[in-house]
Parts: sequence; structure tokens; C-alpha cells
Amino acid sequence: MSFGSAYLTLPDFQYVKPKSLQDALQLLDEHKDQAKVFAGGVGLFAFMKERLVEPRYVVDIKAISELQTLSDNESKGLTIGATVTMNQLLEFRPLKERYTALRDCISLLSDPVLRNRSTLLGDVCEALPYVDGPTPLLIFDAEIEAASVKGRRRIPIEEFIKGVAEIALEPNEIAVAVHLKPPPEHSKTLFLKQTSSSEFSIVNMAALCANPSRAETRTVRFAYGAIAPTPARVRDVEQVFRRKAPVSQLIDEAVDVIKKAADPMTDVLAKAEYRSHILEVLAIKAFRKLLGS
Amino acid sequence: MAQLIKIKVNGVDRKVEVKDNELLLDMIRDKVGVKSVKAGCWRGECGLCTVLLDEKPVKSCLVLAVEADGRDVKTAEGLAPEGQLSPLQKFFVEKGAMQCGFCTPSFVLTSHYLLSVNPNPSESEVREYLSGHICRCGTYKQMLEAVLEYARERAQLKR
Repeated sequence: MSFGSAYLTLPDFQYVKPKSLQDALQLLDEHKDQAKVFAGGVGLFAFMKERLVEPRYVVDIKAISELQTLSDNESKGLTIGATVTMNQLLEFRPLKERYTALRDCISLLSDPVLRNRSTLLGDVCEALPYVDGPTPLLIFDAEIEAASVKGRRRIPIEEFIKGVAEIALEPNEIAVAVHLKPPPEHSKTLFLKQTSSSEFSIVNMAALCANPSRAETRTVRFAYGAIAPTPARVRDVEQVFRRKAPVSQLIDEAVDVIKKAADPMTDVLAKAEYRSHILEVLAIKAFRKLLGS
Repeated sequence: MAQLIKIKVNGVDRKVEVKDNELLLDMIRDKVGVKSVKAGCWRGECGLCTVLLDEKPVKSCLVLAVEADGRDVKTAEGLAPEGQLSPLQKFFVEKGAMQCGFCTPSFVLTSHYLLSVNPNPSESEVREYLSGHICRCGTYKQMLEAVLEYARERAQLKR
């Protein structure tokens, strides 16, 4: 049923399914850019059908048991392996209880059938501006664990996404897991987004708040995505909410800080002015919900 | 590269020769000859190529044929014995939940899966679960009714 058009078929490649991480890393070390890591394939296959990526080897990492890790620990936080699917994450109870922003983000991604295949790390490694996954990771101080034949290192999510489709991984490295730090006690988190008619995000945001009633102990975190080429945590907002002033005034100040920091872009999905407006509306909504004003 | 894989399609064991870059969608249609699995967008958006891989719905245009080695694939044909309809399929017919019929097998499969994990879904849960499928004739309302009424009736029978 192939029509011979590049759009419908995958280019030729050799499929490899290593059983150990060591074998997978050897392959990547040997073939570098010629080998592509494959878990869900949702992003990779789209690029391959367009002939934007034509690897000689497709390395299926789904048989590597350590990449299926999914665990939450009171003090260490949440660890999500590279092959854990979005639906597995949605079914994981700690996500609902402690990492609500991530859960809400995933529940709004694509659709339930695709979520049987798509992975959070796949989303993060795609690193396109409209991808939602990295934004909630920013408020949980997430780190990406990368492995190569030489060893392992952890890269903070803020440094991991360097540009449009540009990440801090070397060609011989695999992102094996993402680690989220536990949120402060009694904190609430949320995720909001606005999509274009084609269902790509034009603004997304994640926010966290603990101890909203007392300024001295109040903790607020805010991150955005899809507004600019790369997602970011807006750390200046965190100081704003530590001041003693009526909450509504603090929210107005915070929104100004965010709008300046984000510097919304114009692209095929939306104009900068529109993004800026939606950013304001959603940020006010998020802060009101978390700070209860 | 080509290799021989073993798969079970609708309960029948098969050996199929596939190329490494072959999609599960192409293999099911062209080599196994199951035509209820349709090709629509080829990029995971329309849901027409959905099959149950080890009982879970996946979009077969984003799955490699080699990945199905040793696994179980079910399509709409496998929901009831040859020449018969499953109870859920009967509700689709009764409610007129189709027009041209092109997308119907995929909606039936995903609904079948939803009801196997969530026997009494709410209307919004069904809407959400079927959101990865597109019906250009717009029979969403009838499909929603078919799934919900079947679930209701089945619950009453069990009581």
C-alpha cells in the first residue's frame, strides 16, 4: 500500500534491538549520528518519513530493562526511565499526588492511543518549541541522566535544551532517565496551555506554590514553553512573591516580569502579540488558582 | 534487510517475511491481507490504522512490523467469530454509528479496549479516549451513543 512517496514510507535502515544498555551504547559509540535511538517512534518516524533524518541504524531500546524504571522516593524524588510510556506515567499514583503539573501536562498531550507508545524523554529530546513535556520538568528541578560508553552524567533540564531541536546530548549518548526533585511539602502545582487550531501549543506553563498565605515562607516557581524557541524557568518571579504586598499586586508584577523574560516569538502558529496576550491571561489564572486570590 | 517474524493475527499464527523499515500497517494490509486496518494520514494523527498489539491500541503507521515479532495483533475482524458481530459492533450498527465506514473499524477497536479497562466510562471519558480518531463523516455522536449504551446494557445484564 506504499505509493512510493517519501511521505508514506520509512527510508532504509537496519533495525537493532540490543538487550543491554552496554550493547546499545557500543552501537552509538561506533556509529554516532548514523544511529538513532528509538522508543516510541512518534517523533523519529515523522522526521524519517519526511527524509529529514535518514539513519543507517535504528536502535530500539525497549528491550533494555533498566530503561523501564519508574519510581518515586519521598526524599530522592521521581525517576522516569527512557522507555516509560505516557500512559504508564498517567497510571502511576505518585504523579497524581505529588507531580500534578506533569500529570496534567501528559493528560493533555496528543491522544490516549498515541500515549501507549510516546515517551516523556522522547518529547524532551525532540526539543521543538511546541513540545509540552519539558515545561513541567523545569519547576521540579529535573535532571536528564545521560549515559555513554565512558560513563554517566546528569544535565539540568535548563541546560539540556539548547535551541530548536538542539539538545546537550552527544551523538554517542543516550538519555536513560529523567529525575525530578520532590516538590516542597504541601505544594500545589499546575500546568496550563493554549494550542493553535492544529493542536500545537503556542503557550504552555507550569507553576508551583507552597505556603501561599505567608510571604516569608511562600515558595513560587514558574516555567513557560512554546512561547520562545526554548522553554525556560523564570527565576525572577520567585523573589516577587516573597515580598509583603497584596497578592493581586504581586501577581500583576509577576506577569510583567514573565512577559519581559519570555520575549514571545512570531512563527507559523501564532503572532508574538497573541502569544503575549495569552501568556498574560493564563499566568494570571495560574497564580490566582495557586495563591487563592 | 529482511527477516522472518512470527505473529498471531486474530488468533491465527503466521510467519511473515518483513523488511526492517516496513510499517506494521503495510504488513497487515499487504502481507496478511487484513483490510479493515486503513491508511489515512501515515503520521499518527487520524487513528484509522489502529490495531490492538498485545491487547493495547497502537497506531500501526508508527510501529515497525519487526516490533510485532512474537506478539499478538488483533483487528476488527478478530472481535467476533467469522461472519458474526461482537455485541459492541452490533450497537454500532443499531445506532447508525457510521456513514462511509472507513474509520469504523478503528473506532470499534479503541472502544473495545476502553470498555475492557473501564467497563462504565462517562461520556467525557469516551470522548477523551476516542480523541485520537478522526471521522470525516462526523458520526461522533452516534458512536458515542453506541459505546455508552452498550456499556449501560452490559452493566444491567450483569446485575
